[in-house]
Amino acid sequence: MNEKDRKSRKIKDGLYTIFFMFFITVVFISIISFIYVKTRSKIKLNEQLKLKRAILFAGNIEYDNSNENDILDKYSKYVKEIEVENADNYFEIYKDGAKSGYVFLVTGPGLWGKIDTAIGFKQDLKTMTGIEFLKQNETPGLGARITETWFKEQFENKVAPIEKAVGENKEAGIKEFNAITGATSSSKAVMKIINKSAKNVKKRYDLMEEE
Amino acid sequence: MPTNKKLFKDNLLKNNPVFAQILGICSTLAVTNSLKNTVVMSAGLIFVLSLSNVIISMIRKKIPSKIRMMVEVLVIASLVIIVDIILKAYLPVISRKLGPYVGLIITNCIIMGRAEAFAITNKPGKSFIDGFSSALGYSYVLLVIAFFRELLGSGEIWGVRVLGDWWINWSFMVMAGGAFFMLAIFIWVVKGLFIQVEEEGSA
Repeated sequence: MNEKDRKSRKIKDGLYTIFFMFFITVVFISIISFIYVKTRSKIKLNEQLKLKRAILFAGNIEYDNSNENDILDKYSKYVKEIEVENADNYFEIYKDGAKSGYVFLVTGPGLWGKIDTAIGFKQDLKTMTGIEFLKQNETPGLGARITETWFKEQFENKVAPIEKAVGENKEAGIKEFNAITGATSSSKAVMKIINKSAKNVKKRYDLMEEE
Repeated sequence: MPTNKKLFKDNLLKNNPVFAQILGICSTLAVTNSLKNTVVMSAGLIFVLSLSNVIISMIRKKIPSKIRMMVEVLVIASLVIIVDIILKAYLPVISRKLGPYVGLIITNCIIMGRAEAFAITNKPGKSFIDGFSSALGYSYVLLVIAFFRELLGSGEIWGVRVLGDWWINWSFMVMAGGAFFMLAIFIWVVKGLFIQVEEEGSA
């Protein structure tokens, strides 16, 4: 094989390598794009459902968790989204035709990372209607138990600011709550998020307290 | 070349990716705190590993050896993204629980290892058996670990309470540290009881 042949062979190999990589990338990207486009609307719906479910839960409106249509129906019936400039939107809850409360999306520090919550208040902006967690990275089996139903539901009718955490099986007053055994930091983080939101929302959203 | 049956058996026991090759430990530690997560993770890995082995084996003669690892990563990453998208669309709750770990299947060394060690030099049929059995070998180890971690750490199996009120949850088991101990105990038991005889015989 002479010098010229070797050179042209090298170029051929190089071109083949480039062509092969290009070709196989196009094939795989096309397959992924196809699946992405096919499932895009479903993924978006899932995300909306998650948010709507959280707002209904925080606003203390009962819904059928396994029925997607029920969630969408109840949401459009009872919830009104209020757009806000330079801040997150908040949500007004209407029961029996009259405004009964608000739900705010609040983020605060947890033990390991951010905790995203939806917190509902009655019109006095102090009495809670509920809390739901949208995102949390607390310790599995300990802090992550803040997402358990009993923990979330205990906040109904509690009055912010909440002042004290008591043990898991103890009696808690309206300004106290049951912290999770072994996860005091995460429990207190939730308490701080609630208190912070109760303090801030009035100012941020220019809302009037109503009796 | 081993027969299909021997290949299958070896990948489950003697060459088990987790307790013999000590691969894929990151996900072993991360997702085994509940059975549900583990089952989904295992299903994802079985899908990705079997298919990536088959695809790489099918195109093995066309791949220029210089870029073979790039191609392998491309195939693996594409399959993982597909799994991720499908989980997000059809199992959103589990997808959220698994968080970043699905994406991390890409970096699971078992997959790249099988592609490099097996699929790149063997026929698609055999590569499928190799990938599938390696993934099964990984899965059952994870399931055993998850079973004990969930039982001891939460008193539950598959999210259902099985231990009575007398049981005090051993919270350490569901934290990452618990997985180290569980995995070590598992390897100790398996190697001590089942593998030892064979090793002595072959020595």
